[in-house]
Amino acid sequence: MADPVTALVVAFALVAIVAFLFWPHRGYYWRAQRVRRLGGRALLEDALKHLYNFEYRSQPASVESLGGALEVSQNEAADLLVRAEERGLVKVEGAVIRLTPIGRSYALRIIRVHRLYEHYLSEETGVTEEDWHRLAEEREHDLDDADVDQLAFEMGNPAYDPHGDPIPTVDGEIAPQRGVPLSEAEVGTPVTVVHVEDEPEAVYAQIVAEGLQPGVRLDLIEITPERVRFWANGTECTLAPMIASNVAVVSSTGPVEDEEDEFQDTLAVLRPGESGEVVRISRRCRGLARRRLMDLGILPGTEILAEMISPSGDPTAYRVRGATVALRKEQALQIQINRTLEAH
Amino acid sequence: MSAENRGEEILSEAAAVRWEAGPNFHDSLMETIYTDASQVADRAVSRTDEQPRFDLDRTIDRLVTSRWLGFPMMLAILTVVFWLTIEGANLPSGMLATLLIDNIHTTLKAGSAELGIPWWLDGFLLDGVYLAMAWVIAVMLPPMAIFFPIFTLLEDFGYLPRVAFNLDNLFRKSGAHGKQALTMSMGFGCNAAAIVSTRVIDSPRERLIAIVTNNFALCNGRWPTQILVASIFIGGLAPQHMAGLVSAGAVVGIAVLGILLTFVVSWALSNTILKGEASAFSLELPPYRPPRVLQTIYTSIIDRTLIVLWRAVIFAVPAGAVIWLSSNIIVGDASLAEHFINFTHPFGLLLGLNGVILLAYVVAIPANEIVVPTILMLTVLSAKMAGMGEGAGVMFELDSETTTAAIFQAGGWTLLTAVNLMLFSLIHNPCSTTIYTIWKETRSAKWTTISALLPVGMGFVVCFLVAQVWRLLM
Amino acid sequence: MATETTAEGCEACPAHHAGNLIKLGVNMSNWDYVVALAGNPNTGKSTVFNALTGLRQHTGNWPGKTVVRAEGGFSFGGGRYKLVDLPGTYSLLSTSLDEEVARDFILFGQPDVTVIVVDATRLERNLNLVLQVLEIRDRAVVCLNLMDEAKRHGLQIDDRRLARDLGVPVVPAAARQGEGIPLLIETLAQVATGQVVCKPHRLKNETPAMRKAIDRLVAKIESVYPDLPNIRWVALRLLEGDKRIIEAVRTGELGDLSRGTPGDPGTLSEVTR
Repeated sequence: MADPVTALVVAFALVAIVAFLFWPHRGYYWRAQRVRRLGGRALLEDALKHLYNFEYRSQPASVESLGGALEVSQNEAADLLVRAEERGLVKVEGAVIRLTPIGRSYALRIIRVHRLYEHYLSEETGVTEEDWHRLAEEREHDLDDADVDQLAFEMGNPAYDPHGDPIPTVDGEIAPQRGVPLSEAEVGTPVTVVHVEDEPEAVYAQIVAEGLQPGVRLDLIEITPERVRFWANGTECTLAPMIASNVAVVSSTGPVEDEEDEFQDTLAVLRPGESGEVVRISRRCRGLARRRLMDLGILPGTEILAEMISPSGDPTAYRVRGATVALRKEQALQIQINRTLEAH
Repeated sequence: MSAENRGEEILSEAAAVRWEAGPNFHDSLMETIYTDASQVADRAVSRTDEQPRFDLDRTIDRLVTSRWLGFPMMLAILTVVFWLTIEGANLPSGMLATLLIDNIHTTLKAGSAELGIPWWLDGFLLDGVYLAMAWVIAVMLPPMAIFFPIFTLLEDFGYLPRVAFNLDNLFRKSGAHGKQALTMSMGFGCNAAAIVSTRVIDSPRERLIAIVTNNFALCNGRWPTQILVASIFIGGLAPQHMAGLVSAGAVVGIAVLGILLTFVVSWALSNTILKGEASAFSLELPPYRPPRVLQTIYTSIIDRTLIVLWRAVIFAVPAGAVIWLSSNIIVGDASLAEHFINFTHPFGLLLGLNGVILLAYVVAIPANEIVVPTILMLTVLSAKMAGMGEGAGVMFELDSETTTAAIFQAGGWTLLTAVNLMLFSLIHNPCSTTIYTIWKETRSAKWTTISALLPVGMGFVVCFLVAQVWRLLM
Repeated sequence: MATETTAEGCEACPAHHAGNLIKLGVNMSNWDYVVALAGNPNTGKSTVFNALTGLRQHTGNWPGKTVVRAEGGFSFGGGRYKLVDLPGTYSLLSTSLDEEVARDFILFGQPDVTVIVVDATRLERNLNLVLQVLEIRDRAVVCLNLMDEAKRHGLQIDDRRLARDLGVPVVPAAARQGEGIPLLIETLAQVATGQVVCKPHRLKNETPAMRKAIDRLVAKIESVYPDLPNIRWVALRLLEGDKRIIEAVRTGELGDLSRGTPGDPGTLSEVTR
C-alpha cells in the first residue's frame, strides 16, 4: 500500500497541474485557446468591426485607432491591415483606410451576431448588463450563419439591441444612427436616451452606474466644458463631457407617464405588515423576469402587502391580488412603489 | 399566391406596425388585461365579514418560517420522516425477503432441479435475474411505500413551498433557483422522479444545476447501504444502548453532507460552466389544505411507488444477469469477477475501499439497492470463505448483523472502509434509471455525461483524501 | 371551401381539426369532443381532472405540479369526451416552456371546449388567464373552484354576475369534495354540443396606440385569411414577436386553422363517428 504522505503529495501535485491548465479563464489551456483564436479570424473580424464603427459615425479610422481598439501594437495592426487588404476586405490609400463592399458586409454580419447575442443575453438570461458586451465579444466569432438565424428567430427578429444599437438584418441593412450625443443636447428640453456606447468598458461602467440605458428620460441642467449635469432616475447625475458623448439622446415628446423621474421607494423597503402601491417596474427588469412579475399581477396601481421574511433573510413573501408570492430582494428592488400609510 | 408569400406579407406588416406600437407593448397589454380583470372581479366578489376571526394559515406560516423555529422544524421533520421510513420498513422488508428469497427462491430451485434444467440456465435465471429482482423489491418497496405517502401528505398540506421559501437564500447564494429545494426533497425519495420535477424551474441554466446536483440527495436505494454499514461499524463503536442512535445520527450526517454538497456544487457550477446570475424567482405560497390521507396514500402508492419500483426492477434484471455471469464465467484460473477484483484492488485500497466494493458499484449502476447483497456475495467469493454464502453469483443478505460483520472482517474491512463506503454511496454516479431520465429531460449527451461523471469523480477524490489523511493520523 | 361551413357546423364538428390534434399527439379514434383543461398553477386543476375522469392522477399542493400533459376521458349523454389537462400557467403570453405547451394546445389543438379552472380566493389574478383564453377561444366554461375555501375566507362570489361579464358559463365547484362536478359536466356538454352559445368577453381597455396597431394588423391578416377564428389574438402575438406564431404564419400552418372544414382532405382523416 502506498505511503499516505507520498500519495497525498502526488495527488496535490496532480491537482495543481490540472488547476494550472484548466482554471476557468486564467488556466493555461484557456489562455492558449484565446491566443490561438485571436491570432486568426477573431482579430481580423474585430478589426473590420472597428473600421465599420468609425465609418458609421463618419470618423476617419487609422492604424493608431485600430491598434488601440484591438489592444495590439501598431506593427501588428499594420500587418493585420495588409492581411485584410490581401483578402479584398479593406482598401488602404495612404492614411485613409476604407472598407470594401465585401468587407462592409462581413463587418455587418459580425455586428449582427454581436447585437443579437447581447439582446439574447439581456432578455433570456440573468447575465448582468456589465457582462453583455464581453460575452458577446467572445461569442460573435464562433456562431455560424445557421446559429445566428436561429437565434434571431427565437428572439422574434428584434430590431434593436439592449444598448439601443440597431441590429443589421440578414441582408446587411441597418438603420441610421439616431439622436445626438448627450454632450451636445439642448439644455431645458427633456430628452430620452436612445443609445449607449458599450465601449470602452471603463466608460460604459460609469454610464451604467448612473442608470442610463435606452428609454431612460433625462432633464439636462447644464452643459459646461467640465461637466454635464442632468436629472435621471430621480437623482441628479454628473458626467464628464467625454463620457456623456457616448450617450445618444433624442428629445422626448410623448407623455411623461411612464418615466422614472421622481425618487421612488421600492418594494424592498416594506417590512412585514406594511403595504404600498406599485408605481412601475423598473426598466432594468427585462424579458421573462418582467413578464413573470406582470403575470403575477404586479402592475402600476397594484396594492402589495409585505407578509413575512424567510428565516434566512431573503426572499420576502408579499400578498398580491389575494395570493402570497415570494420575491427575492433584487426583484423587489426593481418594483417601485408609493408607501400606503395605513397598515392593513 | 402561396402560403409562404401570404405569410411573409403579414409578417412584414407586423414588423412595420411593431415600430408604431412602441417598446412597451407587452406592458400595456398586461395592464389592459388586468384592468378588465379587476373590473370583472370587483363586480363579482364581495366580502361577507371584514376579517376572519382567526387566520390559521398566517399563524402556521409565522411558525414554520419563523426566524428561530423555521430551520429546527425543518430538520426535525426531516429526521422524523427518515426515522419513520427506516423503522417502519424494517419489518416488511424482512418479511418480503423471507418470502421472495428464502421461500419462493428455494421452491423454484427445487422445482428446477426436479425438471432437470441445466445448471447454467437455472443459475442464470433464478440466481441471477430472479434474485436481483427479488432484492430490489424487498429492499425498495417498503421504504418507498412509506416515504412517498408521507412526502405526498406534506406536499398536499402545502409545507414544501415553505421549505423552498426558507432555503431560498442559500440557493440564491449558490447561484441556483429556490425551487431546487423542492426537487432536492423529491430526490430523497427517488432521484429519477426528482429529475423530472426540475421542470418547475424556468431557467435552463438553473434547471441544469438542479439536475446535476440532484444526485447528492440521498435516495431510497442508497439508504439500506448506509443503514447497514452504519449499524455494523459505527453503531458498534458506541455502547450498546446508544448504538441505534449513533448509527441513525451517522446516516442523517451523510444526508446533511449531501445537502451541503448540493450547495457547494451548485455554487461551483454557477461560477464556472453554468455561469450567470440567478434568474427571476417567484414562488407562490399556496394556502394550507387539510390533506386527504387515504386518497393520498392510494395515489402515491399507485403513481409513484409502483412506477419507480417497476423501473428499478427493469434495470435490476440485467444487473442480476451480469453478476451471475461474471462470477461464473471462468477465464484462466478465476472468474471474471475475481479478475476484476484483483485488478482494481490496489486502486480501491488507495481510495480506502477495496476491489469488491468497486466491482459492486460497477454492477450496481442499474440499481443501487443491490449494492449490499452484491458486496456480501463478492466478498465471500473473493475471500474463498468456506461454508458461507450460497454459491458463486448468488446474492444473499444475512439476517444477523454479527455474521455480516464476520464476513466483512474476513474481507479485510476496517472502520475506514466503512466510512468511505458510506461516503462513496453518497457521492458516486447516479443509477442508470436516473441517467436515462437525465438524458430524456435534457436531450444532451454533454450534460448527461457531466451528471454521471462529476459525482463519481468527486467521490474518488473525497474517498482518497479521507483515506490518506486517516492513515496519516491513525 | 366555405361551401360546407354553416354557422355552427365547423366548430362543432369533431372531425374538423382531427388532423391538428393527431399532430399534437392526441389519439382521437374513440372520442367525439375534445375538452382542454387550463388554469393557474395550484388551483386544483388536477383535482378537477381526476373528478371528471375518475382517474387518480397525483395532485399536490405546490405550484407547477402538472408538468406534462395528462389525458383522460368520460362519457355523458351519448357523447364521448376526451379531456386534456394542460400545465398550470399564469399566462399564455410569457413564452416559457409550460406556457407554450398550453398555448399550442389551445390555439392549434382547437379543443371543442376549454374549461378554465380558477381559484375563487384569487379571482382577480386568475381572470388574467381567463381573459387571455377567451381572446383565443369562443367555447369556454369557467370552473370556479375552491368555493369552500373562499367561503372559509369570508368571500362571496356572484357567479351569475361573473358569467354575464365574461360571456361564458361559470360553474361554482369544490372539486376536492366533488361538489359542482356534475353541473360542470352538464355545462361543458351543452357548450360542446352548441346548446349554449358563448359570447366571450373581449378586451376593452386598450390604449389608443395599441388599438390602432392591432386594428391595422387585423385588417391585414383578415385580407389574407378571412376565415381565421382568432385574428385579434394572432395580431397581438405578432406584435409581441412570438416566434411560434411567426413560424405558423410563415409556414402557412395558421391558414390551416381557418381551412379545417369537413371535406378538406388535408385535415379529414379516417376518423369516423
